[in-house]
Amino acid sequence: MRKEETVKLISAEGFEFVIHKDAAMVSQTIRNMLTSPGSFAETEHGEVTFPEISTTILEKICKYFYWNLQYASGKQTEFHIEPELVLELMMAANYLHT
Amino acid sequence: MGGACSRKRDHRDDEDDFHLGVSRRYCKSGSSKWLTTSFTRPVLDNQPGRGKGPSLMDLCIRKICEDIDKYNTFSMLPRDISQQIINELVYSGCLTDVSFEGFRDCALQDLYLGEYPGVNDCWMDVISSQGSSLLSLDLSGSDVTDNGLIFLKDCTSLQALNFNYCDHISDHGLGHISGLSSLTNLSFRRNSAITAHGMSAFANLINLIKLDLEKCPEIHGGLVHLQGLTKLESLNIKWCNCIDDADMKPLSGLTNLKCLQVSCSKVTDFGITYLKGLHKLSLLNLEGCPVTAACLDSLSALDALLYLNLSRCHHLTDEGCEKFSRFGNLKVLNLGFTDITDACLVHLKGLTNLESLNLDSCRIGDEGLVNLTGLQHLKCLELSETEVGSNGLRHLSGLINLESINLSFTVVTDSGLRKLSGLSSLKSLNLDARQITDTGLAALTSLTGLTHLDLFGARITDSGTHYLRSFKNLRSLEICGGGLTDAGIKNIKDLSSLTLLNLSQNCNLTDKALELISGLTGLISLNVSNSRITNSGLRHLKTLKNLKSLTLESCKVTANEIRKLQLTDLPNLVSFRPE
Repeated sequence: MRKEETVKLISAEGFEFVIHKDAAMVSQTIRNMLTSPGSFAETEHGEVTFPEISTTILEKICKYFYWNLQYASGKQTEFHIEPELVLELMMAANYLHT
Repeated sequence: MGGACSRKRDHRDDEDDFHLGVSRRYCKSGSSKWLTTSFTRPVLDNQPGRGKGPSLMDLCIRKICEDIDKYNTFSMLPRDISQQIINELVYSGCLTDVSFEGFRDCALQDLYLGEYPGVNDCWMDVISSQGSSLLSLDLSGSDVTDNGLIFLKDCTSLQALNFNYCDHISDHGLGHISGLSSLTNLSFRRNSAITAHGMSAFANLINLIKLDLEKCPEIHGGLVHLQGLTKLESLNIKWCNCIDDADMKPLSGLTNLKCLQVSCSKVTDFGITYLKGLHKLSLLNLEGCPVTAACLDSLSALDALLYLNLSRCHHLTDEGCEKFSRFGNLKVLNLGFTDITDACLVHLKGLTNLESLNLDSCRIGDEGLVNLTGLQHLKCLELSETEVGSNGLRHLSGLINLESINLSFTVVTDSGLRKLSGLSSLKSLNLDARQITDTGLAALTSLTGLTHLDLFGARITDSGTHYLRSFKNLRSLEICGGGLTDAGIKNIKDLSSLTLLNLSQNCNLTDKALELISGLTGLISLNVSNSRITNSGLRHLKTLKNLKSLTLESCKVTANEIRKLQLTDLPNLVSFRPE
């Protein structure tokens, strides 16, 4: 992955997830951060910190981003969600507008 | 976290809509109306705009609905999320009295439980726990009783309440909601227990904007309690046949009224005199009232009036109808099923703002139509069952904004239809008349914008179907004159915009016809009754995934075979015959 094609998502505990920009931009919130000119520091550094999203949840969200891309390209599999994660995941999804 | 919450609180209400332009009458049966409105649900996987897979939010909500029994409470969630969960549970029919308990103290804003099965007083405690967050509540069709309404007194912010078809609510219950002074919308349709006595509770609801008491037969004398409700903009007392002239008096001071529906009451010309001061009134529905043209004296004072419905006012004759000339602002005028003749149409000449005119079943003929030539804004003209013939149509050829004409059961013949060929805005055309044939259709091929074409009783044959190829935008088509065979269907099979197709009464159609239309995947409603279709032809319908209604009466088709097809291939089919 070339650096300019990636973005670093940082969880509440400080774990870093380096993923493709395309994947991250499945989230409307992240898309806005990365594309609005000059207004976010995130745009320049390609890093976004989520102080309210735990590592477990952020990992699940990254998986969802890639699953969504696959789905859009025609590979329509099921996205499994562990029941114990649902509520927290939902709040994050709400925030990330995804 | 939290994010923006998207709320949608606009109640569907087709009653006050002005149906300008294309009318909904293109369907033979009123019942197919719902085919294009309710029962449609966006499939989660196909969210418009997103163009991708289901959102994570939707997946989570779906997961919760699957495992709903595992959750005791949602009160820790932000309200916009719990709101989405309950909306989905209601929509999918998965909500029960037990799972509803999980929504206690969720500060929900909207609860649309209208027509939801099993809702009764036991649900009221959880509803009440939403407290002052609750803004909108729909309990129509529920078994909630007067006692259940006691619970609403804590929901002091309620703005909209709907108790349509609640047979267990009476005057006593109204007392319990009289303190909800934030209410702006209140609806109690078809309630025979509400009387003038109970309506005294309405007097406190000073913020009321919209009140709906349609089909409440015992409310005579109760409208006096509305006198102080000066914010009222819309009042529906349709089908309350107890309403008479005396009931109009208390309305005289409600000067903010914009929409008043008093159809099918006993109100006469005298009662209408009380409405003179309603200077904001834009819609007045007097359908089926015993009024005469004398009421036009009072109504001409209403300078905001745009929509006037006098249909089925059987006392309305030509006498006094010169007063119609004072209604130059009107956009919609319905005089259908009245006793007026061509003599009345002379006085409509100056109504140049008219966009819709209904003369259904009036005794008007070709001579009368000359008076319509100046109505350049006319979009919708209803002439069904009049004496209009081919000679009259020349008066319509200059009405270039016409979008909809109904000429069913008139004496118009093929030779007259040429006069319509320049009406390039036409979208809907009803030519359901036996004397119309292929020749008439040939004259209309320039009308390429047509979306609805009704040739129900016309004698169209296979060679006439050739002309249908011009109407590529057709969404509904009815040809039921008996003259079609499978060969004619070849010219229909490429009309890919079709959602409604009625080919019944063409008794020579076979399974081959179904094979030919199997590519019309947009079809929502299909009728091929009275034909030679058999069970083995049904397999051709497998591709019609959008089909909601299928009618194959008097064919060699069994209900059981349709049911099988429904299970395996037609998930959206909700209505079929034989059943």
